[in-house]
Amino acid sequence: MSGQRIDRQTARLAGLILLAVLLGGCVNATVDEMTYNEPVAGIGESSVVILGRRHKPDYDTEFDFIECIGDHIHSGDPSIEVINEIAFINQFYPWFEPRTAPLQPQTIDRLLQLPPVAARFDEMKLEYMIWIDGNTENTESTGSMSCGIGPGVAGCFGFGTWGTESEYEATIWDFTDKVEVGRVSAQTSGQNYMPAVVVPIPIIAPVQGTACDSLGDQLLEYLSAFH
Amino acid sequence: MLCFTLLAAGCSTKQVVVEGNFPKPLLDPLPITLGVIYPSAFAEHEFFDEAKGRAESDWLVKTGEAQVEFWDILFDGMFDEVVHIRDWETVQRRAAEIDGVLIPAIGDLQYTIPTHTNVKIYEIWMRYEFRLVDIAAIHQQEDGALSFNPDERLAAWPITAYGKTPTAFLQTDEEAVNLAAVVALRDAGAHFVTSFGATPDVAVWLDGIARRQQDAARSSNEQAGDPQPVVDSVEASPTEGEPDSGEAL
Repeated sequence: MSGQRIDRQTARLAGLILLAVLLGGCVNATVDEMTYNEPVAGIGESSVVILGRRHKPDYDTEFDFIECIGDHIHSGDPSIEVINEIAFINQFYPWFEPRTAPLQPQTIDRLLQLPPVAARFDEMKLEYMIWIDGNTENTESTGSMSCGIGPGVAGCFGFGTWGTESEYEATIWDFTDKVEVGRVSAQTSGQNYMPAVVVPIPIIAPVQGTACDSLGDQLLEYLSAFH
Repeated sequence: MLCFTLLAAGCSTKQVVVEGNFPKPLLDPLPITLGVIYPSAFAEHEFFDEAKGRAESDWLVKTGEAQVEFWDILFDGMFDEVVHIRDWETVQRRAAEIDGVLIPAIGDLQYTIPTHTNVKIYEIWMRYEFRLVDIAAIHQQEDGALSFNPDERLAAWPITAYGKTPTAFLQTDEEAVNLAAVVALRDAGAHFVTSFGATPDVAVWLDGIARRQQDAARSSNEQAGDPQPVVDSVEASPTEGEPDSGEAL
């Protein structure tokens, strides 16, 4: 009797694992784009900087997400020079801190009135400044898992699942004309699963990675002459 | 043994000695020779918070070394010359060339961690009290220590700073609090730079220095028999947060 119950439980868990494997990795993505004045011939020898917004009280745009987009653009078109975000913020300290970073492209003119700031921008040959605002968060979670440890044996049994959502918006500033020339947004969501029969096996949906690829593709299409 | 270890872990003190790499500010330095005194409460500043319950830990956050390192870099980039005043001999030897003495102090420091708030953010908030005094207001006490008369100050103003960092995979509480403290220090510097010339008493002090330098340049030109117009070398910047409102701020 007890053996039958265990068999039924194991079968149910196996079914859940199969379902998780089938569904795992599924990410829904929605991308919106509105851009103007595309550089048809590309940006030549000029450079681009991608910066995260970090002035909101409840979240920061992740540094690794900004790096991911920069890598995506540079790998898609190696002729585009993407300036490292942290190096840029440090070189321009204290003008791109959360407290002082320009929120409108027109305010860059004020920064350019500072001779050392203007000189450094000239050195960089900056053509576009791209601001990314948003973050990735885990949402509701369900399921249960129990783990035990004994002499010479340890293991977990159960099933857990949780959602992840990303929402990012990229705002493109033309640095020469000090105007906004486009916005691209990406919303992605996915479900993660963690079945455990002795060993927990996390099946993680690449929600943030998909958001990075989606935004990166759109920005690459805008900046590159070859896409 | 395991139970004892777990109990001990719950009661332990989490200690953070704040460390970071601080950038030099991108500014044209003001043509001012500034004396700086870091009082021991500032240079050795630490913050201790006792655990409220058995599930929490005591926290000891030592910011003193990082404060001195950060403000040294900022002042060096912001002023032509910075003189660290550590003894009476320096006061006597350099008094003639020092335009003013800045004395920073930390009025308050507060922190939150996700255990306290259930929000996945580590935060540090600091309030500084900056006092600017004339070198003549610095005195030597009987024990040799330096002091100043608060009534003789040229300016006094507060600066608040805030730093936060979100939770991250494989990041310890200590690492996150350190990061939040570094962000708060950088924010303090940004606030200081953008509000320095906008503080009314500081603006008056800057105007006075500019006038003195202008007069000195004019008289030296007259002695040389060359009546060229003199360009102002120091200007106060009156608008907070606007980098165009002055020579360097």
